[in-house]
Amino acid sequence: MDQSVLVIKDLIKHFHSKGGLVKAVNGVNLEVYSGEIFGFLGPNGAGKTTTLRILTTLLKQDSGQAIVAGFDTKKDPDQVRRRIGYVSQAGGSDRPATGRENLILQGQLYGMSTSVSAKRAEELIHLLDLVEFADRIVQTYSGGQRRRLDVALGLMNRPTILFLDEPTTGLDPQNRANLWVQIRKLQQEGTTIFLTTHYLEEADALCGRLAIIDNGYIIAEGTPEELKRRGSGDCITISIEDSEKKAPALIQLLKKADFIREVQYDTTHIRLYVNDGAMAISKVLNLLNQHQIVLITITLSAPSLDDVFLHETGHSLRDINAKGEEK
Amino acid sequence: MKTLRDIGLLFRRKMMETLRNPIYIVISLLTPVLYLVLFSPLLSKLTNLPGFGAGNLMNNFIPGLLVIVAFLNGLFVGYNMIDEVRNGVIERFRVTPTSRFALLAGRVLRDTVNMLIIVNFFTLIAIPFGFQIHLLGYLLFQVILCMIIIITSSFGNALGLILKDEERLSPILQGINLPVLLLSGMLLPMELAPKWLNYIAHINPAYYAVEAGRLLASGNILDAKVGEAFLFLSILTILTVTWATHVFYRDIS
Repeated sequence: MDQSVLVIKDLIKHFHSKGGLVKAVNGVNLEVYSGEIFGFLGPNGAGKTTTLRILTTLLKQDSGQAIVAGFDTKKDPDQVRRRIGYVSQAGGSDRPATGRENLILQGQLYGMSTSVSAKRAEELIHLLDLVEFADRIVQTYSGGQRRRLDVALGLMNRPTILFLDEPTTGLDPQNRANLWVQIRKLQQEGTTIFLTTHYLEEADALCGRLAIIDNGYIIAEGTPEELKRRGSGDCITISIEDSEKKAPALIQLLKKADFIREVQYDTTHIRLYVNDGAMAISKVLNLLNQHQIVLITITLSAPSLDDVFLHETGHSLRDINAKGEEK
Repeated sequence: MKTLRDIGLLFRRKMMETLRNPIYIVISLLTPVLYLVLFSPLLSKLTNLPGFGAGNLMNNFIPGLLVIVAFLNGLFVGYNMIDEVRNGVIERFRVTPTSRFALLAGRVLRDTVNMLIIVNFFTLIAIPFGFQIHLLGYLLFQVILCMIIIITSSFGNALGLILKDEERLSPILQGINLPVLLLSGMLLPMELAPKWLNYIAHINPAYYAVEAGRLLASGNILDAKVGEAFLFLSILTILTVTWATHVFYRDIS
């Protein structure tokens, strides 16, 4: 077994708010091993950020223990701080300074001499492709450029473990893909990464293992493949002609069919969750034939992590996030 | 020592901001210059104002303006603090082994240096208008101004860190700003005030600074009121810095 760089035992953190007691983290246990990318998933308000703030010494838990890079976050925060990197959702780069100044100051605050810090900054400027704009004021950076600088800031002290809080939130698809490449590159160089996200495809693409948190509890943990296997079988997605008129009746029919476990739909597609996709697909085709509904497309897919989330919590992660973002 | 080095590093960071954007200094000069040009001519018609002493008018009026400069340049720093909290800068520093005291002190030190630049600039402008400096008195007065800005900048930064929201910060600052200015005796001496008003003024740090400033500008260094101002402001400086340091140390969720 690889060495563990993060161990959480029975972590609890409650807040008192106007609405009463909020059990933000309610007995979380986790272990992260050296060299892996560990994904920490959950909707907004699930306890992700609170857990992360405890792990990065920004908050102290009510009870339980968190050992990060060999030190207790509550008893020995200074030793933990020396050994971790943290990139918050807000980023953290100083806008009126240049990227290089940001990096050098960060190193100096870790106790490096100016020359050692400048050398490390130069390394990271190359590693994260900041060369073109490193000496410009951060205010002028694009969102993707600033994000890469934020990550570089988290790496100045060669951390044992790097915490990334929703690293790609707010980035366009191209910048997101670009950052994924950078994150994989960091892992290849031996950095352990603990990443929170509410994008399931991101967790699927990057993480070796992941845990899903909801209402302060870990509700599932494992490799993406393991979790998907635990999910709700296969998924058949169909779209039909004249969907507006015919879909409502069809959905009623499908909901009654005993071989279908669950039906979901939006304006263009109907999603059917079934135990055995290959068997079910011919039954679906028969049903459509009987009712003279013309099929446009039909696809059979293995479940996504979104399906896993739905299966484990009873609600879709996308719904929750959509609501959260409206606020 | 790590704390001292951190203070230096964080002071340099904020000072670079000022040097990159020196227009801030010019804007800060605007308020006292407007008072000097648009208000002081009114005063010159009022002869024999009680409390303005026998000395020259400008020596009674300019120290009040300088106190206001120090006061305002510290009080409103909370906005910049909130901006940095929002961009995650403060949180990033808090995850490094940076001294918590240095996070506060670096900022306060920059504000103090800025204030001294503005104050001395303004004094140069005021000399042709009739401001006559007693050198030692003026130096001691600058120590008082430093205490004023250390108090207000520590308070403003800590308040920004607690509130994290401009809309909650604004009413508090406005609620402090006007009464402090009115009760400082900066525009008209508090000797003109009825007794009850004069009593309230005695809990106002700006009042002590203005009173001491008038005496020091004219060279009355050994006046008891100067000692009183130093005592009151030293205590308030220690209390405010202690409280602000505590805010920077504690958990902020």
